Amino acid sequence: MSLDLAEPRQATAPMTPEQPAIEIQGITHRYKTGRGEVLALKDINLSIAPGRFVGLVGPSGCGKSSLLMMMAGLVRPSEGKIDVRGAPITGPAPDRLGVVFQEASLLPWRTALENVAFPLKLRGVPRAEREARAEQLLHLVGLKGFENRHPHELSGGMKQRVAIARGFCQDPPVLLMDEPFAALDEQTRMTLGDELLRIWDQHRKTVVFVTHGLTEAVYLCDEVVVLSGRPGEVLARIEIDLPRPRTWEMMASEHFGRLREQIWSLIRRQS
Amino acid sequence: MRAQADRRVSLAQGAAVLAFFLLWEAASRSGLADARLLPPPSIVLPKVVELLADETFRRHLVITIQEMLLAGLIAAPLGIGIGLALAESPYLGRAFKPFFHFVAAVPKSVFLPVFILLFGIGFGQKVAFGVFQALFVLVIATSAAVAAVPEELLRLARANGATRRQIWVEIHWNAMLPLILEGLRLGMIFNIAGVIFAEMYVSRAGLGQRFSTWGESFRMPELFAGVLIAAGLSIIVNETLRALERRAGAWRTS
Repeated sequence: MSLDLAEPRQATAPMTPEQPAIEIQGITHRYKTGRGEVLALKDINLSIAPGRFVGLVGPSGCGKSSLLMMMAGLVRPSEGKIDVRGAPITGPAPDRLGVVFQEASLLPWRTALENVAFPLKLRGVPRAEREARAEQLLHLVGLKGFENRHPHELSGGMKQRVAIARGFCQDPPVLLMDEPFAALDEQTRMTLGDELLRIWDQHRKTVVFVTHGLTEAVYLCDEVVVLSGRPGEVLARIEIDLPRPRTWEMMASEHFGRLREQIWSLIRRQS
Repeated sequence: MRAQADRRVSLAQGAAVLAFFLLWEAASRSGLADARLLPPPSIVLPKVVELLADETFRRHLVITIQEMLLAGLIAAPLGIGIGLALAESPYLGRAFKPFFHFVAAVPKSVFLPVFILLFGIGFGQKVAFGVFQALFVLVIATSAAVAAVPEELLRLARANGATRRQIWVEIHWNAMLPLILEGLRLGMIFNIAGVIFAEMYVSRAGLGQRFSTWGESFRMPELFAGVLIAAGLSIIVNETLRALERRAGAWRTS
């Protein structure tokens, strides 16, 4: 594994340029509740090209988080299959997928540094090596000097930075983010969004970003996938053709507003 | 600032202890309390030193400590093991957890005659009764500790490909340890109470046996000195476990 963060990496394995980073084929998901069976997702087909920043939005309960958990190998779909970089997902695949959850999910008994290094520890990477890597990542997310703090000593935004650094820790080609900024205040959310773009710009990982925030979705993404209400189906894939790097001024532009409006009108009709 | 505040707290605590003994002394000397029933600390405290120097008394004390430690050593793995089993197996948990709550609610002393019939009146019976006293709170604390492991951390570990063993070592162990230590501490308090009570009820040796003998023969200075020693013993055990608990759970507070 390369420890050099300054050097952007595209792929760990040889792959053809046409091969999608994520290929979702015919995903249908049902689950049982006390009142019978619920059809949560219906025949989802999506192909995501490498290096794209893709948003996943939809009304509450449309199953967008479930879909992400399926990509992460944490939930098994009732039907269909998901390939990540050409190989099927049958369970957690931390070498291919980094996951950042809505709750920072930090181990409270470990320091920020140890939390970032945790995935590498699970893989048996020696302490010196994993902590050197974690230190670089903490600097990258702006937490230099906070290496030895415990989560209870960090603010909500700082915790989420640690969680993002941890998502990058194994240098996976694909990063799955489940409403990572939902629990943060508006200002912190905007700042962290910018930081995320800055890091992403250096590494160009494929990102799937589930969110409730439409402004956030338009601001961050190359493409926004809109899911319908239950059962979740792909309603539209909206290309966000704003230039990069994104700037805050763009949010005030007419084009930005139109894109946001387009997504909102699709979702509004659902609820 | 902080050190100064700490010193003031220590000062207040020292003053409270001093005041307690002074009031006790005054009550006893002034005739407010019958000095035959409540001997003043000026008699009781030297008695503590005298007892601790006395070889016969030390033998009784050591027996009680042995009973208590052995009961703790048996109760800890047993209680934690049962607690884990109840928490990890939905079937066992649903079937048997209520019984532990029921029995935990019953005063254990009512079972003492049964313990005498089963185990006699010697060392083994005291240990068995100590185990019985400690077990239920430990089982309940342990199964509560398992339930308190945050689901999000388990999910995080799984997403990063943790094995079952790694999930136990990295997540369960750390999350549960302070709660289990708390259960262990409460269990030990019950255990000490159980051992001493069993000794007071029927026995040939131990602190409790001394207490009931002294009580029956109106040897109040010895009785109060013994009580202070027993209190000291429980406080040492409790504070030791509390220190461990604080270290293991430093991440929980502050």
